[in-house]
Amino acid sequence: MDGEHYMSPTEALAWIAEVFEEDLDCLNPETERKDIIGWDSMGVLALMAGLDNDFDILVSADDMQAMTKIQDILNVLEKNGKLD
Amino acid sequence: MRFVLVDRIFNLVPGESIVAETTLSSKEELFIDHFPGFPVVPGVLLTEMMAQAAGKCLDAEKAERGKAMLGKIQSATFRKWVRPDETAVIHARIASSRREYASARCYVEVAGVKVCSADLFFAFVPWDQFSPDYVDPVLNSYFGKVADNSIRKDGA
Repeated sequence: MDGEHYMSPTEALAWIAEVFEEDLDCLNPETERKDIIGWDSMGVLALMAGLDNDFDILVSADDMQAMTKIQDILNVLEKNGKLD
Repeated sequence: MRFVLVDRIFNLVPGESIVAETTLSSKEELFIDHFPGFPVVPGVLLTEMMAQAAGKCLDAEKAERGKAMLGKIQSATFRKWVRPDETAVIHARIASSRREYASARCYVEVAGVKVCSADLFFAFVPWDQFSPDYVDPVLNSYFGKVADNSIRKDGA
């Protein structure tokens, strides 16, 4: 993937599932961070790196910590124009 | 065995790239079990060699973020056996480096042939978590040689 990649919401969920090493079936926009085992401290770093490497999106550590559910990640992708 | 799996650095650009080498002696006890009659260097140790080399490359920046610690093996491929007493030449190039994390593309060669490769992901542990007298002897040795001109920065 590169900085010009655009995704459908379904593709975005699949990307997030891959980052957190979770089954896609377990994730939806309302899934909360506390219910995702892979969204731990290492998951936060993996998400930061994924957003950076795959979409050229830089998110601060504070903003990362403020995210509480999958929709927050989708919002970041949408805000940066990466969702179709 | 000690868990220092980088014997010598001979080319280092802090935060960018490193070339180092390691040789595991056939006298190491692990080869009794891995494997009887067919001693080979375990893939986990080859991965650790790459992680230690890449970590030293990051640590050499002496950044405030702390010491690089392996957080994730993003991919690893083992193509050829590495036998005891063979010298493994470890290459690592830092692919991304931020305050919170870094990643490195690494590979190992034996006699000029690539034997394995890995993409590794690092987090950082603050320096104050370590013993105050902690030093990296391999990095220290390298910088000592650079300082007294017995090795050039380009490794020549």
